[in-house]
This record gives sequence, structure tokens and C-alpha cells, in this order.
Amino acid sequence: MLSRWWIKLLLFFSVVGPGFITANVDNDAGGIFTYSQAGAQFGYSLLWTMVPITISLIVIQEMCARMGAVTGKGLSDLIREEFGIRATFLMMFALVIVNFGNVITEFLGIAGSLELFGISRYISVPVCAVIVWFIVVKGTYTSVEKVFLGASFFYVAYIIAGVLAHPDWSAAMVNTVRPPSFHDFHNSAYLYMIIGLVGTTIAPWMQFYLQASVAEKRVSIKQYAASRLDVIVGCLFTDIVAWFIIVACAATLFAAGHTEIHDPADAVVALEPLASKYASILFGAGLLNASLFAASILPISTAYTVCEGLGFESGVDRSFKEARVFYWLYTILLAAGAGFVLIPGVPLVKVSILSQVINGIALPAVLIFMLLLINKKELMGSHTNSRLFNMIAWSTTVVLILLSLAYPFTQK
Amino acid sequence: MPIVNHGLALSRLLGTRVTDSSGAVAGKVREVALRPQEDPNRVSGLVIKTAHGDRFLVPSMIQIGADAQVRASSPASEWPHAATLDDFFLLERDLLDQQIIDVHGRKVVRVNDVDLHPEPANGGVNLKISEVDVGLRGAVRRLLKGVAPAGAIEAVVRKLKPRVIPWEFVDLIETDPARRVKLRIDHERLSQLHPADIADIVEELAPAEREAVFETLDEEVAAEALEEVDPDIQASIVESLDPERAADIVEEMDPDAAADLLDQLPEERSEEILEEMEPEEREEVVELLEHGENTAAGRMTTEFLAAPEDATAGQAIELLRAFEGGVESVATIYLVDADGKLTGSVPLQRIVLNSPMKPLKELTAHPLVFVHESDKQNKVAELMDKYNLYTLPVINREQRLRGIITADDVITLLREQR
Repeated sequence: MLSRWWIKLLLFFSVVGPGFITANVDNDAGGIFTYSQAGAQFGYSLLWTMVPITISLIVIQEMCARMGAVTGKGLSDLIREEFGIRATFLMMFALVIVNFGNVITEFLGIAGSLELFGISRYISVPVCAVIVWFIVVKGTYTSVEKVFLGASFFYVAYIIAGVLAHPDWSAAMVNTVRPPSFHDFHNSAYLYMIIGLVGTTIAPWMQFYLQASVAEKRVSIKQYAASRLDVIVGCLFTDIVAWFIIVACAATLFAAGHTEIHDPADAVVALEPLASKYASILFGAGLLNASLFAASILPISTAYTVCEGLGFESGVDRSFKEARVFYWLYTILLAAGAGFVLIPGVPLVKVSILSQVINGIALPAVLIFMLLLINKKELMGSHTNSRLFNMIAWSTTVVLILLSLAYPFTQK
Repeated sequence: MPIVNHGLALSRLLGTRVTDSSGAVAGKVREVALRPQEDPNRVSGLVIKTAHGDRFLVPSMIQIGADAQVRASSPASEWPHAATLDDFFLLERDLLDQQIIDVHGRKVVRVNDVDLHPEPANGGVNLKISEVDVGLRGAVRRLLKGVAPAGAIEAVVRKLKPRVIPWEFVDLIETDPARRVKLRIDHERLSQLHPADIADIVEELAPAEREAVFETLDEEVAAEALEEVDPDIQASIVESLDPERAADIVEEMDPDAAADLLDQLPEERSEEILEEMEPEEREEVVELLEHGENTAAGRMTTEFLAAPEDATAGQAIELLRAFEGGVESVATIYLVDADGKLTGSVPLQRIVLNSPMKPLKELTAHPLVFVHESDKQNKVAELMDKYNLYTLPVINREQRLRGIITADDVITLLREQR
């Protein structure tokens, strides 16, 4: 019986691919904070966003995986070859800025999670930064990846907690499928949160990371059906977890009138129905896992993307001297991201959500490049986008631009 | 590599104003065109964008100043129309920002800029490609173009250390077969590299590009390089080639490598390739395919040297001269009786060090070490290590010599197991 169980688990891990990994990294510190805050601040009323976000996420990630399989190249490579060095440079510059915000968020997650266990951030953050640097540079990353992935099942805790919190199921369901009222959009906090939710779920860096992984894995167009499944399952898993985090927080925090999350300790309440006095351990461990995993992927994938797009030597198998730009970029992102968190008085959750909002504002630029590329016949042959996919991806782009433009006008 | 560059950067030339014989500005440089089938170095002409459509100026009709200004020697109304550009290699479209193979550095790099070398020649100019810029210098120049004044940009980039590849060390990758023919890309320079280096380069390319390289490489070179690439990539390359071409390459491979490769392919595909192969080579490979991959027979090659028991050292050397197999297989010559049964093994150095008249039988090594076809591959590694062998004979149930396993295969095996 036990052996069967193991075989099943092994089988699962053998099909876990870039799609699932990307989706999991997506539920990082920024994600957890943003979803929690959405539930705490607005109760069930933002659940409807999960439906369009999931559809967009699947469509966009599928596009990346398809481009990776058909061309065998990363997104930054394609932008460079088709749009030249200047467009690539601007894109990469923006990506570094946005990703720097994300790296900060991961370290905020590390600081917050370990502070729950009474460890000062002035110890935890530098130590973790050094650990992450060594894990990646010393090249034992793939084995570490499995550990983190296994630990992602912490997320299941939210699903259980959501159920045990006895949420108002009918309200949750209705709010998931009911379109929002136009009136809500006059509320700037509401708009801000929507942009943050989109930004954290469909982050710009994920597209670069996913396509590069698919290309790297040498998925051919024949094996593509499996990849597509991997992407869809990954997206659904992420968003089901996100839905439950919102529900858990709505049923506990929002219901108790606790609508503002300032630090991780506030968010721990959401897990109390499941673990009562152990809630902070569960939350802390889950958050630490998510943050560490994302902190090891984000800076390195940024360095890869930038160096490949701009034609610098890259790769941890090169020496420091051979790939100077690569190593410096990686090290600076990591060190500066960690350093930022050590500035006294940085509001943890606020900065995290802000960085997710910046993700959301930057996303349309990436989407426009992706759409232009994927509709090129010379590049994609018979695998260009279908009309439906174009419609969904273009609407996502336009809606995001409109939301970003509308936000300043709603401020009073 | 030249450190000081007196050349003209392609990025400066593109978009620069073109004046006609009257001194009036009549257009801008849109593209720089080459006809590699005629001359791979010399620019055939500039494509000029004018208000009346694209014009084509050959270098003998222009002068290029130090400020990259182009002056034509004829009135704009007489500039020839640019006909179809399909046959041309256009530097901006086909070279800038694309990946190329640096044959000298044995790697794949991206083109940031191209250095041209203008020389005055009978009234006009002779424009040659001198090197390709793959470093920061070209990148900065192009990023700042139009943002800062040209003079200032040049002052900045002059301080940067150039990273350039001389044009003669550049190998192009062109995935479209029709264009490849027109441009006459035959990867001649690439094929002069060591097969293991070609394999490294190929691993860095996208699938379509790999295919393009393998379609034009010489079969023998392609086979050797293919043996060195990662098995996953091997299979995807062979699958993408048409069966006839794939068969030509597989025929040139070591039979055991060929068998391993075909074993990785879907059955339908490997059948197709086998059908296209010469009967003799096919037979050897089919035989090897029948053995499990993890057995001695699955690892062996059927290319080996066997001499009759009564042969002399001189005759062995004759056999060696006629041998077409790989150099890794000749470390030992095996003795077989009339039935093909293995009776002895003679190290090459003993043959060379003895008189040609010496019977091989007197030179055999003891003990006679061998494995059976069905023996596990770990035993192979053990025996080769214990007796310090370069090759190990494989026999069947009737004791007949079937093939040999070479040391390089064992190294591959050990690396795989790590």
C-alpha cells in the first residue's frame, strides 16, 4: 500500500514541469500578502476577479509555452531578434526594475515569516541571502527545487483552513460568478487591489521564465500536448489556492472587522481555524518556503533573461570572469533586495502589494510583445494564435492599461 | 584581433543621409546588401530610401566621408531602382541582433554591430566587412544612436573594450532552406572544428537552427558531431532530418552509437532510416539493436580487427592499414580460429615492436579477457578497469567474437551512472 502511494507521488513529480513550477513560484510572498489583504479588506467581493484572471493566466502561459516549444527560444531572444536591441533594452530595463520589487517582496516574506518565530530580520535576511546565493551559484539548484516543490503543499493548508473557517459558501460562490458593479470601480482602493491581484497572478517575469524553461527542456511541438496540460493544471492549482486564501481571510479577518494587514502576524489569524495555536508556525513555514523558493528563482531568472536578451555571457557554469554582467546583476539584485528590507520602518505588507501593483502596470508591455510575436507566421508557422486566444489576451492587455490609467482619477 | 578600429560601424551608416551629385540630400541608407554567392566580404550595394522609392547604389557610385556621410557621384534621378532584394544578404535584417557561430571562440554569440572597412577605389569606394561586434561597444552605440550626438557616442564607445570576431571566423545560421541555398551557407568553417566542439555549439542552438546546421554539414563530420551531442538532442535532430539524409549520417556513425541513437527514436522513424541505409551497415546496426542497451552487446561496436590464428605481425599491420573503423578500436587485434571463435588478443604495441615475421600467436596477452553478449555493463567496466584494457572483446554462446567495447564507451557509461 505504502509503495503504491510512493509510486503515485513519483509519477506526479515526473510530470511536474515548467508550467507547474512557474505557477507555484507565483504563489510567493507577494501573492500570499496580496490575496490575504484582498480577502481581509473586501471580503468575498473580489472573488469574481479569479475567473477572468484564471482564464487570462491560462491563455498567456499557454502562449509562452507554445512559443518556447515552436521556436526553441526564450521570450527575450525573440524580442531581440524581431524588434532589435533598443526595444529589448527598454524591456529588460523595466523587467529589472519590476523584478527588483519582487525580490524585495521575497525578502520581506523571509523577514516576516522568521519574525513569527522570534528571529530578527537583521539575522534572517542576510543569512538567507547568502544561502540562496550559494544554492544557485554552486549549482545544486535542481535538487533544492524538488524540496521546495514538495513543500508547496503547504498551500493545501489554506484550502483546509478556508473550509474549517465555515465561510458563507453561498456568498463566496455568488461573488465568484457575479460580475462586479460599475460603481465599485470608483473606489480607488478597489482598483488598486485589482491591479495588484492581476499583477501577482500574471507577473511579467513568469512569462520570461516559463518560455525559457520550456525551450531549455527542449519540449518539441510533438510533446507539446503534455506541456499544455502542465500549464493548465499549474494555473488552476495556483488560482484555486488564491481563491481559498481570499476566502479564508474573508471568513476570519474581514468577518472580524480586521481589514488592514500590516504584517504577517495579522494574516496568521486566517489559519487559526485549522491549526489554532499552531497557526503561526504553519503560516510562517509556508511563507518562508514560498519566499525562499521565489528568492532563488527570481534574481537568477532575471539575470538570465537580461543577459540572453542583450547578448552577454550567462550561466552558472561560466566563471565569474567569463560572465561578469550575469554574476553582477544576480548578486546586486539579491544583495540590494535583501538590503532594502533591512531599512528600519519599511512597511512589510504595503511594499509587497505595491510591488505586485507595479507588476500589473508593467504586464501590458510584455503582453504586447508576446502578441506581436505569436502572431508572426514566419516564426510560428501553423501555431499562431487562434482568434479566441488573441481576443482574450488583447482584452487582458487593454483592460489592464485602462485600470492603470483609471487609478489616478479615482484618487481624491 | 585588432584593438584600434578605423572602420565604419554599420549602425552609423544605417539611416545616414545620402547626398547626390548636386549636394542635395536625396535619401537615407536603409540597408547594406551583400551577395555572398559572389563575394562573402564585399558589400554589393546600399539600399537608399528616397521619396521616390528604394534605390540601389553600388559602392563605385559613392563616397563615404569620415562622418559616415554618403555622397553619390550621380544625380538622384539617375539612381537605379532597387529590384528584388530576395537574393541579397541584408546586414540589418539578416545579421544585426541575430545569433551567429563564432568559429574561433567555438560558441554562439549575438551580433550587436558590424564593422565595415571603406577603401577608396577607382572613383568610388570599396566597402568590406571586417568584423562583427558582439560586445558592449556595439550595444552602447546602437542604444544611444539618435539619443546623443554622434560625436559624443563615438567618444564614449572608444573607451569601451571591443569584443569583435573577424568576419572570416563567422559562420551564419539560416533556418530557411531556400535562402540557405541562395546565400550558399555550407558551414565550411564550422566543419573544420573538432566534432566535440561542434556538438557543444549545436547544443546551444534552437531546434530549427540545429537542423539547419546538420543539413549542410558534411556527412562524416555530421556523424562524428552527432555522436557527441546529448542523447535527447541527438534524437530530436535525427527526427527532424529527412530519412534519406538521416540514413546517410547514421551510416557514417559507429555502429554502436548508431544503434543507441535509433533505439531512442520512435519505431516507425528508425525503420524508415534503416530502410534508407546501405545493406551492410544496416545489418550491423540491426544486430546491435536486438541487444538490450544495458548489456555488453548493447554497448559494443562491430568494427574491430580480427586476424586468423596463424597470421604474422606483418599481416596484422596490413589489416590495420585497411581498417576503416575508429582509432579507438585498434588498440588490440584479436585472433579467431576457423569457426570465428576468439582464441587470443594481441596488443598493438607488441605487433609494432616485433619483426613482421613473428607469428601473432606468440604475442598474445594473458589472460584472455572477454565478456558474453548478455553480461551486464557493470561487469564490462569492472574488467576493463581491472586489466587496464582499451578494448574488451564480446563473444556469443558459441564463443564467436561478436564485437568489442572501447574505453570511451565505458567512460560515457560511467558518466551516465553518476
